[in-house]
Amino acid sequence: MSELNEDEIRGLAKAVNIEIQNSDITDISYSLNAMLEAIDSINPEGINAVEPLSVIQKEDKKL
Amino acid sequence: MSDQELIFMSAADLATRMKEKQISPVEAVRAYLDRITEVDGKINAYITVLADQALAEAKQAESDINAGLIKGSLHGVPVGVKDQIYTKDIRTSSASKIRSDFVPDFDATVVEGLKRSGAIILGKLNMTEFAMGDPITSAFGVTHNPWDLTRNPGTSSTGSGAATASFMCATSLGEDTGGSVRGPASNCGLVGLRPSWGRVSRYGVDGASWSLDTIGPISRTVEDCALTLSAIAGFDQKDQYMRDLPVPDYCAALTGDIKGVKIGVVREFLDPDVMGVTKSVRQGVLQATEVLATLGAEVEEISIPLAPVSGVASRIISAVERSSLHPEWLRNRPNEFHHNTRVAFTTGELIPSQVYYKAQKVRTLVRKQALEALERFDVLVMPGASEPATVMNLEPGIRSKEAAVRALTEASYRGLFSLVSGPALSICCGYTVEGDNKLPLGIQIAGRPFDEAMVMNVAYAYEQNTNWHLEYPSL
Repeated sequence: MSELNEDEIRGLAKAVNIEIQNSDITDISYSLNAMLEAIDSINPEGINAVEPLSVIQKEDKKL
Repeated sequence: MSDQELIFMSAADLATRMKEKQISPVEAVRAYLDRITEVDGKINAYITVLADQALAEAKQAESDINAGLIKGSLHGVPVGVKDQIYTKDIRTSSASKIRSDFVPDFDATVVEGLKRSGAIILGKLNMTEFAMGDPITSAFGVTHNPWDLTRNPGTSSTGSGAATASFMCATSLGEDTGGSVRGPASNCGLVGLRPSWGRVSRYGVDGASWSLDTIGPISRTVEDCALTLSAIAGFDQKDQYMRDLPVPDYCAALTGDIKGVKIGVVREFLDPDVMGVTKSVRQGVLQATEVLATLGAEVEEISIPLAPVSGVASRIISAVERSSLHPEWLRNRPNEFHHNTRVAFTTGELIPSQVYYKAQKVRTLVRKQALEALERFDVLVMPGASEPATVMNLEPGIRSKEAAVRALTEASYRGLFSLVSGPALSICCGYTVEGDNKLPLGIQIAGRPFDEAMVMNVAYAYEQNTNWHLEYPSL
């Protein structure tokens, strides 16, 4: 996955009506790219076969 | 009895002696208020001290005792409450400029519980702004670790940990999203319990992350933790995610008998090559497991292969959920946030929906592995962090992408059990010396959903056979 540059991040922010201050853009870039890259590298077996709602689980009933 | 002897007493002892009229609630509240005056200038654990109100309540509690009326197990005991938990007619700021004039017109359900049990609320405790993970963001100034004033007291319930460790309250409440009760407990040498999701009501608490938030006690002993949890646990229809399950007698469950209890030691977090655990932490945790084994527990290593990615999933989930709570603030009042909080909230806003959903899917798989481990074992144990409390960098900023990645990895230590949504407790398992100061080390004990009693009993057995809880910081 390629890293988002600062212009792309500002574009994303504009789409949700957020104006990023110059003093923040570098740190937002570090933070956002770290998360996006980290999650992109996690691909465990079965990831596509589960629903994205973890909180209420049938496993609870067994325990 | 001297003030020092009184404030060094456990909450349980204090409550017992009050019932026996050996100590008066007024005497206790005055001693704690004096302690706050003496040391909080160094620690900055309190945002609001409720001196007049606490003294008035103490006088009433004393009258009640004299009339033979004991409200509950914390009757007359002075407690501190994290400042994201609503208190009627008392400012509840979430340590933010944005909420600095917010005065709720009702008590959170957990505050009602404390009051029903007879506790006296001494004040509102400092925290990181909106319960973010960075220790320097409070609009009311940084809270310092009483063991070493330059170090992180543990986030986000910074004041709850620091006040309890420095004897500025008998016990306290924190809020744990990705580790905010267990972190301060670990860094300050205390007992902190993240209860099962659905065990303690979140009604009347400024949310951080709807699917991860829990309210839990931070105390000096396991018995105090059990007493405090007893006051706040139980079904509340105002929190739609509560489970309507009976609340056990947590204090009665503290037998200290753990013969035959099956304990799984999570391998990944003790491997320095996988998660970067330091030698002192690793040694502290392994020695603790030896103590548990000598008490008759069956201790065995267990692997949870996906555990090391827990931090990535929990941080993404909490970032998105947190920023969704008050999106208008980021757009209309951005300059009222601390820089680091604004960066975190903006990051949460920009995470694509499919990334959030992927994090939730990872959560499902991590949780499945951990719950399968908990079918074999009664509890799982692992370090509370890779290292003891670190020196705080007071300059705002993230420094580099590598630093952000490291923070995600470190978040796995406590994020694992946040994702599982069962109970997880941190307790002191020794000390290490860095520079001139001793620093506490923490071990986590986690259990099956709604089995807080088992988790606390294992912790109690350990505590009763070690002396770590008898040490305290010199201030």
